[in-house]
Amino acid sequence: MPLNDVLSEPGIMPLRAVAFQSLLLMVAIVLEAMVLRQRLRLGYRISMQYAATVNLLATSLGWVAFLAIEAVLPPDLRNQIISYVLFNRFYENSWRDVLPVVVVVTAIAAFFITYWIKLQGLIWLLQLLGQKPIDTTPEAIEDNRRQRYDRARRAQIEGQRGHSPRALAVLQANAISFTAILLLLLLVNQPGVMGW
Amino acid sequence: MVGFLRQTLEDLGKLLKPPRYFAWQTVIYISLFSWLMSLLARAVSATEFTVGLLATLSWICLALGVGWALEANKVRPFGIPIAPWVSGGIVCIFLFGSWGGRWLQPALVVWPLVSFAVVAVPSLVSWDFSLKKPQPFVRQQLALLFCLSLLFSSWFQFYFRIQAWVHDYPSLAADSVEHSAFVYRIPGQTTALSAGVTHLTVAEDLLREEVDNKPWPSVERWLLNLEGQRQLLRQQLHSQMSETSPLEDPLWQLDFQPSTNGDGYTLKLWAVWSGPAASPNGYYLEKTCQLMPISRAGLAPENASPGYSTTQWSNLTCDLETPRQAGHPRETQASG
Repeated sequence: MPLNDVLSEPGIMPLRAVAFQSLLLMVAIVLEAMVLRQRLRLGYRISMQYAATVNLLATSLGWVAFLAIEAVLPPDLRNQIISYVLFNRFYENSWRDVLPVVVVVTAIAAFFITYWIKLQGLIWLLQLLGQKPIDTTPEAIEDNRRQRYDRARRAQIEGQRGHSPRALAVLQANAISFTAILLLLLLVNQPGVMGW
Repeated sequence: MVGFLRQTLEDLGKLLKPPRYFAWQTVIYISLFSWLMSLLARAVSATEFTVGLLATLSWICLALGVGWALEANKVRPFGIPIAPWVSGGIVCIFLFGSWGGRWLQPALVVWPLVSFAVVAVPSLVSWDFSLKKPQPFVRQQLALLFCLSLLFSSWFQFYFRIQAWVHDYPSLAADSVEHSAFVYRIPGQTTALSAGVTHLTVAEDLLREEVDNKPWPSVERWLLNLEGQRQLLRQQLHSQMSETSPLEDPLWQLDFQPSTNGDGYTLKLWAVWSGPAASPNGYYLEKTCQLMPISRAGLAPENASPGYSTTQWSNLTCDLETPRQAGHPRETQASG
């Protein structure tokens, strides 16, 4: 019976990852909510909701990407990931020398991809909540062409103006939360911290 | 006593009897009735479709009824409304339970998403199956809940991915994971024996075929071509082991080194692990064997020449235990 097997032999469970990720998420959400609140002049509750939604979205999409990529990696690189997950260290094989480069490039790519996901996520969320930055309600037919052009140009400028602080706020929020997470990771990887 | 019994019976009656037709008890009863009908249908050998339809109805009503009951009775441990999770769990057991085999994995991975659907569908679809647009507040809650359930689903998937690793590389489970920042093993579980032990046992059998119970001079000759024998032994071992664990097998390297010990030799057999390991320099398993010449005078014919009885035969005895050592056998030998 598979259910009994699983209950008697749960094997190696990612409990530390779950606990640690919950902690990191809380830290990131609180920090980003503070930045969004200051930069975008949002309410306390609203900024918490926005920060929580985009962070959870980015995290879960990150997991999906990791699980998908891990399955198609070359075996040697996959073994290094296994080594890191299970034993918290890399081991000697053909990838050992290029690993620092791989890790740094992955981290930088993760930062920008996360930034893009968070920005897009915030735009989607605002659209979902019906708070569109640019009003797209059907407009009355305009007979004057120049008027329409003017309006379009004004809308574009307004759109940029409305867009820019948001992008900046998300960038700042992302930078702050990544810094905090990096610091926490470095702290935990010090031997002896938290008894690990 | 009688009063207590009557009170209990009244409570029980109140619990079982729906207060009105539109109540959770009604749904549970429909589920039970539908389940009984499906049993009946099976008994009178109705078509597969009828039985399936009745069973499906029964499961759906059970999920609805249990969720409703939990919600109606305000069962909220730690303030978390668990009704959608329980309903989603019942739906998942129903959807995947009939698969057999490894149904638990898809069921657990999909469970958070199904639970999200259980929450979302009532607020997105109205009673006449037309889409409706909920309040912005509800939409925000749903978006948050969807991301959360995707995260839970990913965690379950990560758990199963780790199990797949351990399935591919069984020796990982024999190592210590206490330094990991990701995983935790609940203490008290039986840990599997490292596959290196099997390698050493098989290698011992192969070695026995070569050097056990052979004339001593041929054994000495065999030992002259050490590197060739190593290659041969590795090839034979590989052809035997690669079926059981094809991914892990290349990470084990067999090695042995004889050293003189009195009249005979001490053979050290090593299974060197070159994969991920908890100790910084990896580890190896060691098996110690004694290869000794013994006189077999008894076998000599009666009228043999005097020199014949001194012909010596080889005898290989190996220890049962395979102690685990950190590092690499060649390096520790060089330094020690």
